[in-house]
Amino acid sequence: MSRVRGFWALVLALLRELGDENAYRRHLAAHGRAHSRREWQKFSDQRLLARFVRPRCC
Amino acid sequence: MRKILGHVLWAAVAILAAYALAGIALKRGEPINSIWLVVAAACTYLLGFRFYAKFIAARVMALNNERATPAERLRNGHDFEPTNKWILFGHHFAAIAGPGPLVGPVLAAQFGYLPGTLWIIIGAVLGGCVQDFVILFASMRRDGKSLGKMAREEIGKLGGLIALVTVLLIIIILLAVIALVVVNALKGSPWGTFTIAATMPIAIFMGLYLRYWRPGKVLEVSLIGFGLVLLAILGGEWVAKSPSLAPLFTLSGVALAVSVIVYGFFASALPVWLLLAPRDYLSTFVKLGVVLMLAIGIVLVRPTMNLPAFTRFVDGTGPIFAGTIFPFCFITIACGAISGFHSLISSGTTPKMIAREWHAWPVGYGSMALESFVAIMAMIAACALQPGVYFAVNSPAGVVGATPEAAAATISAWGFPVTPADMETLARDVGEQTLFYRTGGAPSLALGMAHIFASGGGRALLGFWYHFAIMFEALFILTIIDAGTRVGRFMLQDLLGHIHKPLGRTSWIPGVIATSAVIVLAWGYFLYQGVVDPLGGINSLWPLFGIANQLLAAVALCVATTILIKMHRARYMWITCLPLAWLVTVTFTAGYLKIFSPAPRIGFLAQAAQLQSRLDAGTAANIADTQALIFNARLDAAVCAIFLVLVLTILVDSIRVWTGILRGKREARMLEAPFVATRLRAEEI
Repeated sequence: MSRVRGFWALVLALLRELGDENAYRRHLAAHGRAHSRREWQKFSDQRLLARFVRPRCC
Repeated sequence: MRKILGHVLWAAVAILAAYALAGIALKRGEPINSIWLVVAAACTYLLGFRFYAKFIAARVMALNNERATPAERLRNGHDFEPTNKWILFGHHFAAIAGPGPLVGPVLAAQFGYLPGTLWIIIGAVLGGCVQDFVILFASMRRDGKSLGKMAREEIGKLGGLIALVTVLLIIIILLAVIALVVVNALKGSPWGTFTIAATMPIAIFMGLYLRYWRPGKVLEVSLIGFGLVLLAILGGEWVAKSPSLAPLFTLSGVALAVSVIVYGFFASALPVWLLLAPRDYLSTFVKLGVVLMLAIGIVLVRPTMNLPAFTRFVDGTGPIFAGTIFPFCFITIACGAISGFHSLISSGTTPKMIAREWHAWPVGYGSMALESFVAIMAMIAACALQPGVYFAVNSPAGVVGATPEAAAATISAWGFPVTPADMETLARDVGEQTLFYRTGGAPSLALGMAHIFASGGGRALLGFWYHFAIMFEALFILTIIDAGTRVGRFMLQDLLGHIHKPLGRTSWIPGVIATSAVIVLAWGYFLYQGVVDPLGGINSLWPLFGIANQLLAAVALCVATTILIKMHRARYMWITCLPLAWLVTVTFTAGYLKIFSPAPRIGFLAQAAQLQSRLDAGTAANIADTQALIFNARLDAAVCAIFLVLVLTILVDSIRVWTGILRGKREARMLEAPFVATRLRAEEI
């Protein structure tokens, strides 16, 4: 059971990583800030700006 | 005891791999089950990963877990962040998996399942996985530097510039060819067109939801978006049956091409958070989910491979694209075997997230092996179709005949029986008006996937699954189109900024509009050319894309070899030189044939000459169209020649550097970041 739970936690962590939710948490922790709409927008703008200058794979 | 058990286990895997490979290679006469391909591929990847990749990791790269990675040394919470290896594996796989491994094998199935399958497995284990792994390692040891930067520093300034120009040209051809795949999949399909059109307001809704209503809730909004997309698929069936709405969504190839071009322009200029990012999140999740579903479906259903091991088209007379197995099978399947584009990802985000050096082993080599397995699944989905259906869907009218009756007669005469009535029934089952001439690979892949997914629920679900598969393919192809246009724009601005400074500023609106327009018009031109091409466009554009992509792989392998030599590992340079030599042989042969072959269906110049002679004799149906086709054929020849010259330059430059170092006339200056001992604790990863 604990293995299943561990696997599920890993899947969820992967989805959160792909969805930038983990990166946002790291961003809040690194800058000691609380979650807010403004903070998310600032983080998201920075993150997306960096992401969409790199070529996408075919 | 454990060690002995391990040896026994790996011996069993090796025997199973050999048995399955022999089974698919030697069995003739009756159709084989797809599980043979699954076992052969999975066991070979496991062996390659366990022995070949480990040998490279330990002996050649000398990976060292005591050495701090850039993720640790330059940790900033954004790009540089030590990440769990399995999360990074999924992240990297999601980044490298695109439409290429799905479409290429479907097209190459015209030779039969065997040539493509063997190339996918062997090419990945000895070439593609090695390229991704070595470039990831090199970038990781150089603080996550990009391929272009490494080319500039390791080979020379010329190498860096060529890498940049090659990538820009490849992006243009890539965008055109994948846009053509979408256009051909949606042509005359109100169901598909409605579903894809509906994804735009859904993505905008998701963007607004994420920005203003529930900031940061990406998984939540993606789940809502996925639910809405499923509703759009169901709504598409209703639209297709509506006498008033169906004509609005029944578009010709040219109308769809113009729509995609206009869309590409606006999508690249709109704020990223509004359309691009939400759809990117959604398409990533859908992509992973569908790949998993397909794997489970294939294992449960175990479809029969109805296409033979070899078809009569090994002689080069194939209806989907002309040319013999060598070299054309090897450039048609790029992404599932070896893809230059992966080197851009392996030198992008991933090297900045590796926590321990040894994690590069599963992430670099393992992810590509999984991508290769996706290509095997695409091959299975295509070959599970009846051969007559496969060729009826994928053959252009210009080759098989302009009416369903003529096409069915031509295909049946090849030994693949099919009737217009069979095709009509199938089209009705999947909710399409016709399935003839649906070139590009996407519709036949969707048909194969639908057969696998619907096998539990009967033919009633075939339409839903077919359009689900079309939605899945179109969703992430459109994401690549708008993201690619944006990237192309940035690269062009970067180049033009050297000539006129304001053009290089990404915030200068006239510059943004002008460069977006240039990129959109560039790929849009090739797209339009493909749509009006009587041979279906895929015949000329896909090989061009394959050549370009493989040439980029050659550039990456040149960089990798240079780095190995500088690391004093010249005795192991065969690891990268072997795939490099193969790629150079294949791409230069294919490039030469595409330009100079006397067969008009293969050689661009021969095609132009044939059309010119028709024009001179006054037998051309339409003078303006024929003149345009002549110009297009010459343009394709010129683009192909440019690719070859660019890569030849970087190859010669690299060999000059290698011989200089090996003869001791040139300093082997290592540009790795200095060793710093890791302080990362196990619980931090």
